[in-house]
Amino acid sequence: MISKLIVAYDGSKQSEKAYKLALDMASKYSAPMIVLSVARPPEPPVAVELTAVLDRATEYFEGHFKCLKEQAQAMGIDANFLVRVGHPAEQIVLLANKEKADAIVMGHRGESLMERWLLGSVAKRVLSYAHCTVIVAR
Amino acid sequence: MTEMWLLATLWLGLALIATLLSIWFGIATALSEIVVGTVAQLVIGALVGAAVLGANDPWIKFLSGTGAIILTFLAGAELDPVVFREKWKEAVGIGLASFFAPFLGCAAVAYYFLDWSPQASWLAGVALSTTSVAVVYAVMLEFGLNTSVYGKTVLAACFITDLGTVLALGLIFAPFTMRTVIFAGVSVVVFALLPYLTPRFFKRYGGRPSELEAKYLLLCLFGMGFLAAWADSEAVLPAYLIGMVLAGTVGKDHMLIRRLRTLTFGLLTPFYFIRAGAFVSVPALIAAPGIFLILLAAKIATKLAAVYPVTRFFKSHKTEAMYTTLLMSTGLTFGSISALFGLSQGIIDTSQYSYLVATVVASAVIPTLIANAFYLPRHLLGRAPEVEIKTADVTKADGPLLSAKESLPESTTSPNRQ
Repeated sequence: MISKLIVAYDGSKQSEKAYKLALDMASKYSAPMIVLSVARPPEPPVAVELTAVLDRATEYFEGHFKCLKEQAQAMGIDANFLVRVGHPAEQIVLLANKEKADAIVMGHRGESLMERWLLGSVAKRVLSYAHCTVIVAR
Repeated sequence: MTEMWLLATLWLGLALIATLLSIWFGIATALSEIVVGTVAQLVIGALVGAAVLGANDPWIKFLSGTGAIILTFLAGAELDPVVFREKWKEAVGIGLASFFAPFLGCAAVAYYFLDWSPQASWLAGVALSTTSVAVVYAVMLEFGLNTSVYGKTVLAACFITDLGTVLALGLIFAPFTMRTVIFAGVSVVVFALLPYLTPRFFKRYGGRPSELEAKYLLLCLFGMGFLAAWADSEAVLPAYLIGMVLAGTVGKDHMLIRRLRTLTFGLLTPFYFIRAGAFVSVPALIAAPGIFLILLAAKIATKLAAVYPVTRFFKSHKTEAMYTTLLMSTGLTFGSISALFGLSQGIIDTSQYSYLVATVVASAVIPTLIANAFYLPRHLLGRAPEVEIKTADVTKADGPLLSAKESLPESTTSPNRQ
């Protein structure tokens, strides 16, 4: 039984798939869902550039959220949309813990070796620390 | 003119490479521009000649200097006046401790251990005293502490620390003459009038395609920059203060700030940071890496000594306190501005400049890497007792059954990468 879902969304095709999957699950279980997007600051964050990155990310995600919200409303699903700042995996798990979600749905996105080395695999981190079911859409 | 266009092409080419590197590696553009500047100078210097990059050409110096001024202004304008007014009393203590400990500590290390001249030692202290407001702000956002008393206090303290740095930079190396008095007097009047005049002026004449706002702000910044330079001070000092006094008015005009950012990131700061990198002497760093390591150790140790007890005083969790402290050890923008000021004023030589910039870069990167590797706030998350992987028995929109388990090892999502 799933009573609450978290969907990680980054605007990629994979996260669109994850979102569709989550809509389907939310509809089946009549569960509310939270759509989370995470803005990651550059390393290290530098004055002015950080604010520019955060402004840009918030605007980007909020633009996408309008369309996603319409899809959820059309299916009669209760969906909330959030933009957080930080490491994606940690923000996803933190929110799942805080909201006592039963499942996290996320898209698979092939990262380069360099990205994995620098940022770590987001899915691996989510799997290590999440207290709930994790579903990765491919 | 032909040579100038060629040089501009070369610099913008380097800026583009730096930007691509920053996107690929997820690092700050300023950092990649400094590194690209250093490597370009090394490679071009070895292949063609050190003068080819033209880092001392007047027009490159102008663009670079303007970049530093506007960047500093924008950094000052990021101050949240409400938070600052609310927490300035508590913040002054932390901010001054965070400034004075590395300032005095690093200056002492440079003077007694590295045998630098008194002026060069003071400059080392100034360059290594900075704290990156951006880093701390990002950490606070990650923790969700930006609205807490602790978060607000530490953020306000960072502005005090940076104010200490720019004041020290602007005043320590300037001879105290009648010019200093005139500069100080005019500054007081201008800083008092600007918050009153600017919004009214913008309301009356602003919001037109002629970009009156940008011209007005540049006039103020250049005018006060001239006065500072005339008094043998540093132009970023008034720029930062103008940013701070206008934070509550101009700082809230998002469209104007965005247009200034476009100008700054698109044209000016690449010249500033690539130029800052171009003066770094890699042979000097290789010849005496110990100096760089001593300065880095001094910077981190003094910042730790000053900031860690404060974070613990605010009853911050040990790991979180260490994380915050490590990240408070960085300061790329003001550190590089201070070092370049020292080099251009003849206070330090190329080798000393190289050690300082390398320390500033390392102190921006190494604590971040350590903090991310060992001090991420995992205590907030707690390790899952047992990783539960369910094979979702659902059909993908465009394919067969989804097996989460099969896809997990290499699966990932990165909601921030656009």
